Amino acid sequence: MANENSADVVVVGTGIVGCLIAQQTLDAGLSVLMLEAGPRVDRWRIVENFRNLPPTLRLHFDAPYPPKAWAPHMESYTDAAAAEYLQLEGPNARAYRQGYVRYAGGTTWHWAGICWRLTPQDMRLKSLYGVARDWDFDYDTLEPYYTRAEYAIGVCGPSDSSLQWPPMRSKPYPMGPLPFGPGEQRFTEAAARLGLKNLPSAQARNSRIAYDGRPPCCGNNNCIPVCPIAAKYDAATALPKIEAKGGRILANAVAYRVETDQKNAIAAVHYFDPNKRTHRITGKIFVLACNGIETPKLLLLSKDERNPNGVANSSDQVGRNMMDQPKLVAELTVTEPLWTGVGPVQGSSIMQTSQGEFRSRHGGALFRFNNMARSAFGGVAAVRKGLVGKALDEEIRRLSACTAEIAIEHELLPDPNNRLTLSNQKDWLGINKPNIYYDVGDYVRRSAKEYSVPLVRKLAAELGATNVQVSTEFTNSDHIMGGTIMGANSAASVVDLDCRTHDHPNLFLPGGGAMITAGCGNSTLTMAALALKAADAIAGQAKRG
Amino acid sequence: MSASDRDDAPPDFSLFRRKILVGGGLVLGGLAAGTGIPDFANQFMQLSSLLIPHQLDRDVGSRLATALSTKDPGFTAQVSTLLGIAQKKNARIVEEFFPDIPDGPLKDTALLIVSAWYLGVVVDAPGAEVFAYELALMYQPTIDVMTIPTYAISGPNGWTAEAPPLDSMPTF
Repeated sequence: MANENSADVVVVGTGIVGCLIAQQTLDAGLSVLMLEAGPRVDRWRIVENFRNLPPTLRLHFDAPYPPKAWAPHMESYTDAAAAEYLQLEGPNARAYRQGYVRYAGGTTWHWAGICWRLTPQDMRLKSLYGVARDWDFDYDTLEPYYTRAEYAIGVCGPSDSSLQWPPMRSKPYPMGPLPFGPGEQRFTEAAARLGLKNLPSAQARNSRIAYDGRPPCCGNNNCIPVCPIAAKYDAATALPKIEAKGGRILANAVAYRVETDQKNAIAAVHYFDPNKRTHRITGKIFVLACNGIETPKLLLLSKDERNPNGVANSSDQVGRNMMDQPKLVAELTVTEPLWTGVGPVQGSSIMQTSQGEFRSRHGGALFRFNNMARSAFGGVAAVRKGLVGKALDEEIRRLSACTAEIAIEHELLPDPNNRLTLSNQKDWLGINKPNIYYDVGDYVRRSAKEYSVPLVRKLAAELGATNVQVSTEFTNSDHIMGGTIMGANSAASVVDLDCRTHDHPNLFLPGGGAMITAGCGNSTLTMAALALKAADAIAGQAKRG
Repeated sequence: MSASDRDDAPPDFSLFRRKILVGGGLVLGGLAAGTGIPDFANQFMQLSSLLIPHQLDRDVGSRLATALSTKDPGFTAQVSTLLGIAQKKNARIVEEFFPDIPDGPLKDTALLIVSAWYLGVVVDAPGAEVFAYELALMYQPTIDVMTIPTYAISGPNGWTAEAPPLDSMPTF
């Protein structure tokens, strides 16, 4: 059993990656202690927080998760608030305003649940297109872990291989697909007329049946910012399961230093409690799973005489190659009602546009019809017009039904200049805030100009749009990747193929930071697959002593 | 988990604060009984029903009346004036008297009342108090199709791609 100060496996972070590793290593008979910087909050409280937000604030996915002073995360309700914690610079600073949640359960609290895999081509960009890096293992190596991740978190998807992405699978999805609402159906038909296939998403939402003790999705249309019934997987649902297996979870415990010993193995992690008292946690194996920003920050904070550039940073790659999928959004007005809000907030995407020979010149793109109910948008916009009576109701209904959004998420290449460093600014505990330089690069800009924006205009026209506004400034997709990049070559990467640091044999950094290329889809399933691969390595290593 | 861990959302959002506010409203109502302020909630509901052709919740109305009259000392007088304009036209629905409301503060007040009932807030800004979520009227014109987020109007995989035409306005 773990006690409050020591365990076989010490996991920093209680998001999807940390929780999967905790569950796997507990099953392997190891003791596990988890540290979480933020609070542990019940689901009903977050739902009530959401309902008690003014309408426009409900569009800010971080707003129902007010951070604790000791565990700040970005709050987006105004530009000034957003600038408080994450220090951003560079040509596309706005596009790295990453939303993540420093609460027990992590950012899956407010993810959309989308579970795309990378394709074999996504992992071989250097060989195939002469850009970025290749992964040092292939899709077939990752495939079994993808399947295990899908069964671990409960992913639904189509059994028809022509609707799967990618169609190379060793097992069917554990559940069948969710139905489309009217908007996604119309979008699918419009795409088909252009020769494009809008695929039902693989998604971590229970479809028709209960799975892993959670109920089936009932279309509450609130996956972002919180599923009120836990039909969508979020790591908060794993916390009691971890405790039932004997794992210990310390909330409000802010890791601020990783301590190395004489052999440069990790000896301990130090954390602050909310009273600014410090504590030292020892263990055999340490896992940092604090997300793609907090993990490199913690490594850089932990520099010592043996590791003058930070822990795990002999390659100087910690904090470099920060990635996401830079997003543009097309706002449409149509004459015939499309209707959103029926079913989950996201349920499909065009994926074939992420692939192609063009990747030697520009990135691919994913196109997604956003299915969040537009009733509040219609309500606020119609009220602001000063309408009353029947005219007001009719305008709310028209604006809600006859407007839509198509999101475009672009493939970004790993670039060492897109870099996280420690800001001179300190947070409430006196810990350096993260500073990130970000430029989406010409690869993305060319994709938007030559490929994605012209294509979204065609999609809009096919939907009968009378007005189309495409945003011109890239924004964040909250898919944080790259900052502790993986590779076989220890001079050019931070972690090995099991997410073990090259520099410290008992330190693992699984998750999005390890990802070498980003693809166009949400990174979560790949993070989960890498977590399971790391968990196998951790269990094997612990048993060998 | 300790009790303090379980309930650590900020006090701004807590149910406790809502109770205090409702309680405060009741105390204010009681103190002001001799000055006719309890009647104001009725006046406010009467005007609201003329401005909005839908069923209105009395508890929400009572809280809105307190909040709006506290925020603006001239609010109660404006409500009386607006009621007078409606009564002069023997209006039963908003379309019958709204054009008679002069532009400026009076029309702004009429629109503020409509806005508050539809959006569930007096001010749509960070930190503003929410008076209604599921009872905010903005969700009703699409309630035949769209769920009020966090609530459900179907069951497991119980929805389809079918949708009614734009002109079949729900009754509410």
